[in-house]
Amino acid sequence: MKEVMLDCLGEACPVPLVKTQNKLNELAVGDVLIVQIDHSCAMKNVPEWARKEGHNVEIEEVDDGEWEVVIEKVK
Amino acid sequence: MDFKKINKNKFYINWFKNAWTYVVGAVLLSVFQIVTLATTGNPWGVSGPFANWGAWIYRAIGGNVDKWYYFSSEGAQATLNGGFLNDPGSIRNIGIIFGALMATLLASQFKIKKIKSKKQVVAAVLGGLLMGYGARLGFGCNIGALYSGIASLSLSGWVFGVFLFLGAMVGSKLLVKFFM
Repeated sequence: MKEVMLDCLGEACPVPLVKTQNKLNELAVGDVLIVQIDHSCAMKNVPEWARKEGHNVEIEEVDDGEWEVVIEKVK
Repeated sequence: MDFKKINKNKFYINWFKNAWTYVVGAVLLSVFQIVTLATTGNPWGVSGPFANWGAWIYRAIGGNVDKWYYFSSEGAQATLNGGFLNDPGSIRNIGIIFGALMATLLASQFKIKKIKSKKQVVAAVLGGLLMGYGARLGFGCNIGALYSGIASLSLSGWVFGVFLFLGAMVGSKLLVKFFM
C-alpha cells in the first residue's frame, strides 16, 4: 500500500490524463496515486476516466486553481 | 450575508464554481451567435480581428498594409480605417478575454502557471504560428470557418470540420510522442 505523487502542474490536456493512465498501470491494487494538476479540464477528465475504470476517486482543491486527484487503485 | 460561507453556498457552487454542462454551453453559444449575426450583420469569428490588431500595431510603428493582398479589399480597408472601437469583432474578443478572466476569478481558480520546460515554449510558439497562419489562409478558425460555417448551412464548415479532426489526430500523436 504505497502512496505515489504525480506532478502534472503546468501540463495541459491531455498530458495529465495520459500520465495518470501510465502511472496507474505501474501500481499495484490498493496503492494510492495522487495527481497534482492546475488545468481545469484535467480536473474533469482525469477523475471521469478513473471512475469509469472503477477506481475510488476523490478531488481536493488545495489552492486557487490547483487540485489533487486522489485515486485508489481497486483492480 | 456571510461571505466566509459563500464557498458552501449552493447557488455559488452551481453557478460560479462548477463548470456548466456542455448542453448549457451549447445553448448559450447558439443564442449569442444569433445575437451577433443579428446585431453586427456578420457571423461570429475570433481570429479575423486578431489579424486587424496586427495590422493596427504594424501601422502604429509606421508600417503600411494597404498593398497587402489580405487587407486590399474595400471592406478590410474600411474596418482598418474605422479603428478598434468600431470593429465589433475586436470588442467581442476583448469581452471574451475579460469574461474568461472574470469567470476564473469568481470561481477563485485563477493561477499563473509556471512554464515546465523549453519544449512547452517551443510547442506554444510553433502551435500559435501554425494556427494563426492556417486560420487566415482558411479564412476562419474553428469559430469563423467551422462553427459559423455550419451555422450558415455552408458545406465548407463540414469540410473544415473533417480536416480539423484529421489534424487533431495527428496533433495528439505528436503530443504523446514529444510530451510523454
